[in-house]
Amino acid sequence: MNLSRDELVRLVFPALAAIVLMGAGVWLIKIVGEARAKAHAQLASTQAERRQNADRLARIAEEEREVSEKLDLYKQLKRLNIIGEERRLEWADAVARIRNQRELLDLTYRVDRQKLLKSLAGKPGSVDFFASTMTVQLELLHEEDLLRFLADLRESGNAYYSVKSCGVRRTGQAATGVTITPRLRASCTIDLVTMIDRGAKR
Amino acid sequence: MARHLLYLTAEDQYLYSSSGSRLELKARFSSDERGIAAFREHLRERKGALFAVVADLAGEDFHEEQIPLLRGNDREAIVQRRLAQRYRDTRLAAALSLGQVAGPQRRNERLLLTSFTNPQQFAPWLDALEESGARLAGVYSVPLLAPALAARLAPRAQRVLVVTVNRAGLRQCFIEDGKLRFARLERTVDMVPQGLATFVRSETLRLTQYLATLRALPRDGGPLQALVVAPAGERAAFERALVSDARAAFQTIDNEQARAAVRLRKAPEGIGGEALYLHLAASRPPREQFASREDRRRYDFWRLQRAVLAAGAFGFAACAAYAGSLWLETDEMRTRAADNAREARSAAERYARITAAFPVTETTTENLRVAVLEFRRIADASPPPESAFVHVSRVLEQFAQMELDAFVWRLGRPGESREIERAGAGVPARGENAVTLEISGRVNATQRNDYRGITAQVQGFASALASGGYQIARTQLPFDVTSEGTLTGDIGGRDSGEAPRFTITLTRVLP
Repeated sequence: MNLSRDELVRLVFPALAAIVLMGAGVWLIKIVGEARAKAHAQLASTQAERRQNADRLARIAEEEREVSEKLDLYKQLKRLNIIGEERRLEWADAVARIRNQRELLDLTYRVDRQKLLKSLAGKPGSVDFFASTMTVQLELLHEEDLLRFLADLRESGNAYYSVKSCGVRRTGQAATGVTITPRLRASCTIDLVTMIDRGAKR
Repeated sequence: MARHLLYLTAEDQYLYSSSGSRLELKARFSSDERGIAAFREHLRERKGALFAVVADLAGEDFHEEQIPLLRGNDREAIVQRRLAQRYRDTRLAAALSLGQVAGPQRRNERLLLTSFTNPQQFAPWLDALEESGARLAGVYSVPLLAPALAARLAPRAQRVLVVTVNRAGLRQCFIEDGKLRFARLERTVDMVPQGLATFVRSETLRLTQYLATLRALPRDGGPLQALVVAPAGERAAFERALVSDARAAFQTIDNEQARAAVRLRKAPEGIGGEALYLHLAASRPPREQFASREDRRRYDFWRLQRAVLAAGAFGFAACAAYAGSLWLETDEMRTRAADNAREARSAAERYARITAAFPVTETTTENLRVAVLEFRRIADASPPPESAFVHVSRVLEQFAQMELDAFVWRLGRPGESREIERAGAGVPARGENAVTLEISGRVNATQRNDYRGITAQVQGFASALASGGYQIARTQLPFDVTSEGTLTGDIGGRDSGEAPRFTITLTRVLP
């Protein structure tokens, strides 16, 4: 069928209408497709959340046991001020007190600046471990003085005392009989470990 | 869209409107000039309306021919030539295919050429339609529509004579294998039912005889099935009169039954059997008709417009159906997501309820776990030095001649001291934490020149220290007896009195 110019003109409206209808159909598919993609993402997200919550619920008995078990140690750390800010004045007081109590001959120490040991992600905040390295030099009459010093230091609290090195040498000084002469010299490096729980309730 | 049907008879013309299963009489026109003028006037208000012409006239010719089996334009050219040879005016002529036939040399196609003996009687009506801008779907004769009626009334009949009583007269159409073979129209006058039935019988037998003479019926084919549509209320009279015999087997069908078969529910009062043909022309028009392409151009163009629109609508419907299926999936996903969210909330609430009964903590469970685990790790990696002092002290009690000058306890990774690294055997792998003990001392109460005794005592002391998890990393003897070292001596010289010195390095890997 050969169409005349007039017929072609009259065919324009139906052709346009057909194109508009097809376009509307494609647009409809696009809109629904987008909604479907959104729903798919939402489904995946809610599935993951449901699975996570269900797993957490399933582990709750284990969690309760874990909480009970760990809570005692946590409380102890809190009581010993290992959890919390550094207490440098308390450390200085403790060293002085031990020297006096144990009648140590000479004791020098130096505490370096604090450094971050480790930062662990928690919920809602991280748990950060810090260490300040203390170097101690002691004049000893007997090696047991060193052991007592270390034990007293631990007892004093305010940090966890992680001994990194300890050395004992003879001084080689001969006893005069007039004054008490130290026979041994000890030198120790100790990390004073504290932690800050940024998720702790205030 | 309603279709208008112009029913042409020798006397009057009737204009019907067909919509769905309804047939409605719109107007009646006489065959003279006045009737044509009235028809033109009627068409003035129906520009663009769909029209079909159904002719029910006596002068319709049927002639069978054979042409070579061809297709496309070649076939069309031969058909047009045969029509031109047969009829003077081919404006309203048609060739109906009756199928193929195998000749002695080639395959042929059987054609039934048909036209009207006086096509001029159509001209004013077709011209009026053309001038009015109406869309002419086709020009049909009642016989052209008869195969469609036969297919509905007697679908399995091989040869059947369809007989209807129309306004134009008694119409008889012979159908063979679903194709029209012959038809005739016999005028009727007003008769009582019994008389009409008798007339139907006699005319049917005459036609049967004629068809037998033409050898259109097989010689031993039995009686010809005659399907007679009885006018309303006359079936009983027809059945009484139409007695079957060896020539014809009559089957009478009630008018209402026939209308139901073609799905015509409502027809105007007083209409005859032509209602069946008119409805078929409107609802299921056959491909074969008399109008030329030019006469039907407006209709064809209208169909093209509709096809373009329908394609668009179909495309939209397909897209909408696909979008609908996507939407159902989306809806299902949303429902599932809502279910999941509800279950997640429920689990979270149960978790919160249960954890509320936990011991009161100053932190969250997660932080509690992290803090305690890491603290334990640090504590495990930080053993106190006291146990090492005790270990060395106990060993020393067994070796009275040994005197220590220095004792160094160190925690760290092996290899931090080069000396240990060089020692090789017994050194823990790099990366593990280990305690290192470095013991320096002297061997007393043994003569300095007793190399073997001093060496044995130091080695014995070192072996005793290598217990409780400690391993010897290095032993520096007073005398270097290894092949790599330098051995010196002063035999016969004066004894300096200084005790021989040794150094023992031990390591213990932390768990």
